[in-house]
Amino acid sequence: MSGLRDRMNRLRGTSAAAGNGIGTDAAISSPEETVKRLDPATEPVTTDETEEDEILHTGWQPIGVKLQRNSEGTFLLRQIRYPLDYKHGTHRLNELGAAASGLSAFHGEPVEPEQVLFLDLETTGLGIGAGNVPFMVGIAYMQYGQFIVEQALIRHPAEERAMLAYIESKLPAYRYLATYNGRTFDWPVMQNRFIMNGRSRKIWEPLHLDFLHPSRSIWKNTLTSCKLSHVEEERLGIERVDDVPGSLAPQLYFQYLAEGDPEPLAGVFRHNEIDMLSLACLAIRFGHLLHSDEQQGAFGVLPLPSEPEEQVRTGLWLEKMGLSGRAEQLFALVLNTESAAISALLMLAARDKKAGNWQRAVLLWQKAVEHPYTYGSSAIAAYIELAMFYEHKLKDYVSALQYTTEALELALGNPLLQRRDAKKRAELDGLRNRKERLQRKAGRMHG
Amino acid sequence: MLRKKNLSQLIEGLRTNENVINWHEVEPIEATTRPMPESVDDRIKAALAKRGIEQLYSHQCTAYETIRKGENVVAVTPTASGKTLCYNLPVLQAIAEDDASRALYLFPTKALAQDQKSELNEIIAEMGIDIKSFTYDGDTSPAIRQIVKNVGHIVITNPDMLHSAILPHHTKWVSLFSNLKYIVIDELHTYRGVFGSHVANVIRRLQRICKFYGSDPLFICTSATIANPKELAEQLTGKPMRLIDDNGAPRGRKHFVFYNPPIVNKPLNLRKSATVEVNQLAKEFLSNKVQTIVFARSRVRVELILSHLQEIVKNELGAKSIRGYRGGYLPNQRREIERGLRNGEILGVVSTNALELGVDIGQLQVCIMSGYPGSVASTWQQAGRAGRRHGEAVVVMVASNTPIDQYVVQNPEYFFERSPESARINPENLLILVDHMRCAAYELPFKKGEEFGPAEITDILEYLVEERVLTQAGGTFYWANQSFPAHEVSLRSAAQENVVIIDQSDVANVRIIGEMDRFSAMTLLHDEAIYLHEGVQFQVEKLDWEHKKAYVREVDVEYYTDANLAVKLKVLSIDRTKSRETTSINYGDAAVNIMATMFKKIRLTSFENIGYGPIKLPEEELHTSATWVEIKEADSSIETKTLEQLLMGIANVIRHIVPIHVMCDRNDIHVVSQIRAEHSQLPTIFIYDHYPGGIGLAEDVYKRFDEIKAAAINLVRRCPCEDGCPSCIGTEIEGMNAKKKSLLLMEGL
Repeated sequence: MSGLRDRMNRLRGTSAAAGNGIGTDAAISSPEETVKRLDPATEPVTTDETEEDEILHTGWQPIGVKLQRNSEGTFLLRQIRYPLDYKHGTHRLNELGAAASGLSAFHGEPVEPEQVLFLDLETTGLGIGAGNVPFMVGIAYMQYGQFIVEQALIRHPAEERAMLAYIESKLPAYRYLATYNGRTFDWPVMQNRFIMNGRSRKIWEPLHLDFLHPSRSIWKNTLTSCKLSHVEEERLGIERVDDVPGSLAPQLYFQYLAEGDPEPLAGVFRHNEIDMLSLACLAIRFGHLLHSDEQQGAFGVLPLPSEPEEQVRTGLWLEKMGLSGRAEQLFALVLNTESAAISALLMLAARDKKAGNWQRAVLLWQKAVEHPYTYGSSAIAAYIELAMFYEHKLKDYVSALQYTTEALELALGNPLLQRRDAKKRAELDGLRNRKERLQRKAGRMHG
Repeated sequence: MLRKKNLSQLIEGLRTNENVINWHEVEPIEATTRPMPESVDDRIKAALAKRGIEQLYSHQCTAYETIRKGENVVAVTPTASGKTLCYNLPVLQAIAEDDASRALYLFPTKALAQDQKSELNEIIAEMGIDIKSFTYDGDTSPAIRQIVKNVGHIVITNPDMLHSAILPHHTKWVSLFSNLKYIVIDELHTYRGVFGSHVANVIRRLQRICKFYGSDPLFICTSATIANPKELAEQLTGKPMRLIDDNGAPRGRKHFVFYNPPIVNKPLNLRKSATVEVNQLAKEFLSNKVQTIVFARSRVRVELILSHLQEIVKNELGAKSIRGYRGGYLPNQRREIERGLRNGEILGVVSTNALELGVDIGQLQVCIMSGYPGSVASTWQQAGRAGRRHGEAVVVMVASNTPIDQYVVQNPEYFFERSPESARINPENLLILVDHMRCAAYELPFKKGEEFGPAEITDILEYLVEERVLTQAGGTFYWANQSFPAHEVSLRSAAQENVVIIDQSDVANVRIIGEMDRFSAMTLLHDEAIYLHEGVQFQVEKLDWEHKKAYVREVDVEYYTDANLAVKLKVLSIDRTKSRETTSINYGDAAVNIMATMFKKIRLTSFENIGYGPIKLPEEELHTSATWVEIKEADSSIETKTLEQLLMGIANVIRHIVPIHVMCDRNDIHVVSQIRAEHSQLPTIFIYDHYPGGIGLAEDVYKRFDEIKAAAINLVRRCPCEDGCPSCIGTEIEGMNAKKKSLLLMEGL
């Protein structure tokens, strides 16, 4: 064995330089560093919660897990029950009852809170390759007036079968799967695991309520990041204390695997638990947003988005989800906001142009060119839009020419646009061509 | 203007050339055909008939019948013998019979896979059966990828893609792996050396996954002529193989001409440059509009010949009608050249062995080799580029001054009677094996006692547990690491990072013109090197070694550069020893330190040395296996200085002989002599694998040392020079009787 290690080290001396080495991210252990692996099963302390005689490492006690056993083997389960009036950030969990009907906009079918299963995985790696294993599966659901979080953990990979069997038995009771990026990550990873453990990929085909995509649609430009922990802090009033970042979870799990002491996992359990609660709050937030009961006051329970950018984006998303009335309320706000950024105005104008609402589109473009901070390419874009509108819709070539001239002056005069790449040159050429054409057309009218 | 000569006239002209020292005619062969087997689906029969195929060549028929019997096959087929039907027919038949059947095609390169898809889809369209065949590579769009995974009957890909994209995501390919009937490995002979050793392991991983999903596919391999196709296929797949070599395809007349440039310096036996002669010969064919391919042994040589030819014919033909082709050109550039050759827009191409592979460039009439390609198999492959089924073709091999070239052209029986070389792989190379076991463990856990090739792997699994890459629970080893191992393992080269070549001649339009592997870059892209790309000279302004970028600028100079490598060797362990009277032959592990030291500037026209400069690059270290010969008791009458020179001369001979006896690229194995080896203080010649951990070449040399020694002695003895020349022991040796002394010394080894 040490012969093999010696040989590997010698050979690797060369290939490591080529990034070919083994264990680049695993801790390479020198002999004195090698920690003796403790076998959890041999630690001599029982917890009276276990039905069986199996002995759990004492370190599990403060975490509050229970040994679970089924026909496929054992794993650990931690269960936390929250009363529905529990307040997590700005929302109480019992709001889900009212918000659920709003979520029906996702699939055009009614949603009952009890039909929704929340899911969040902690995995050993990135991506959805066959070797990425969820060592912790967090699920949550509403039942008998409680919000129940269950976190299954495997003490070693051989426990996965038992954990999967447990999760699988839970699934059929639910119709919806609520996640943050679960459509492309959590659920495909679960499917991988089912396949790799000889179960069908199609044991359950949920309707997805994946809140990552709406979050991105709405907050892409107003939040610095659309990570769940950031969204919840900025928009759900949730503050995590001493949170273990999700990205550290794999390392902590491997530390546990190597050393046998569960202590480092406590933080991972907490992190995952808060993720589950935050998921529920996101569901509440989007549910409220989509709630079609106009009587209740459109944004009665939610604070109105304050930034025009977010107003427009929220409106666009609502419109996509089939709530045009609600969207219009937000769009109206934008038009009346003095400080609306040009980008927000243009975004809404583009929507109006597509929808044929020329009147408001023109108003928005004009607002954009009159903006106190008129500079840069967005202003030029607004002038061009106006020029096109006047040329093609109103056949008012003189006005169109005027807007084009303004755009051209802006483009030539702006120091930021001085360094011209091919794209900018093309834009300038386009403007010059437009100007020439309009001059001809305008001249013809007068001549 | 003179009337153009046709090929027959050109051939007659060549016959009278006094430098032609051997003329070998390969007689035309009639086709051997057999009727289309009854069992073939009528729709397939009809589709083939539309393409003029009513009968099968004998080897196609044998392949079909053997595969139908459930045997794995390896078919040895020369260029243009209809090898694709050997696998397409049984595969299409299987799908016609059962729509659920799936097949996986492996081609060594993306380009070959693309070619195959077009050909296959043409037949499928004519069959009128809904068979979906797709390529799956880096260019496949995400939307298509979904379709390929779920409904593709035939998935055409390359080993790299299989390794890094398909196998680690096997759960997305359930329908393929559950129903896989056939795995096709085309161009089997390319899977040798390091690459082949990697691919053998990728195939082991593939088989594990098939087993997991309950399929047990048959392998259909096709190979160019090598000595050991069956052995290679069995080693690569771990399955028993049936060899199919009853080639029934017809062949036109082929003239195989050995051309030895005239001697220009009698005492030194120095001949005129092969490059110059190649230029003349190629010009003759090209200016008569005869489509010609020129093979050169290095990238630099390709560019040199290309720029000469373009210059010579530019008034008659236009420079664009003659193109270069080699690794380092960008893919779309290559595709354009291949197309141009097929439709005749391009008249001539100068290539490295990159065009040896089955890339479809149509049928050329003339093939000129600048020097012996290094192996019999490779020579036949290159020769196959000229003349396919019908009509005459000419292959001219122009010998250079190197010993092996001279040996081959002066001993034609060596070439024509010798069976081609064996292709060797060593899938058990520890580094390669361990890398792929990591990938395999990521894909599926290892059960205790599970096999992964012939080697005992429990030790490795336990080692990986210690490294915290795997974790053991119960009787199973599970992946337990954050990384994605397939992305850390490249199949193609020990040096994974390529150096990107950036042309900054036009400040406003800085562009990437190519790339090169790390080891080649040390000698070809160092600061001030002259780098030739498509016949254009560039000077390297800065090689940014850390970021693997070479910044070049177009120049017009009348020299090229040639770099020196300094090599240090240290013996780490001696595994085997054969003791002889005054010498001993050893095999074991060695550490090699390689450093590029300086470069010479060499005038293009006269090849004289006109300057030099230093190369400042870090030393590279390589741990590998080596065979070395020590002289325990040297003849005391020979001075140390003389002995040192004699050893260098002998090393020179061995360097050229070894690649013939151990089929490999000349870069895969290196030979170095030392007057005082570090470990023993004895005069020693080292022969080592140029890959970490070795790939079995040095070991082969150890086993066959006497055979290699005899060949080396024979070469020196038969060399016509007076007392040492570049074609044998070199010219470094001063004083008389160097040849005799070398022979004496060699016989004592």
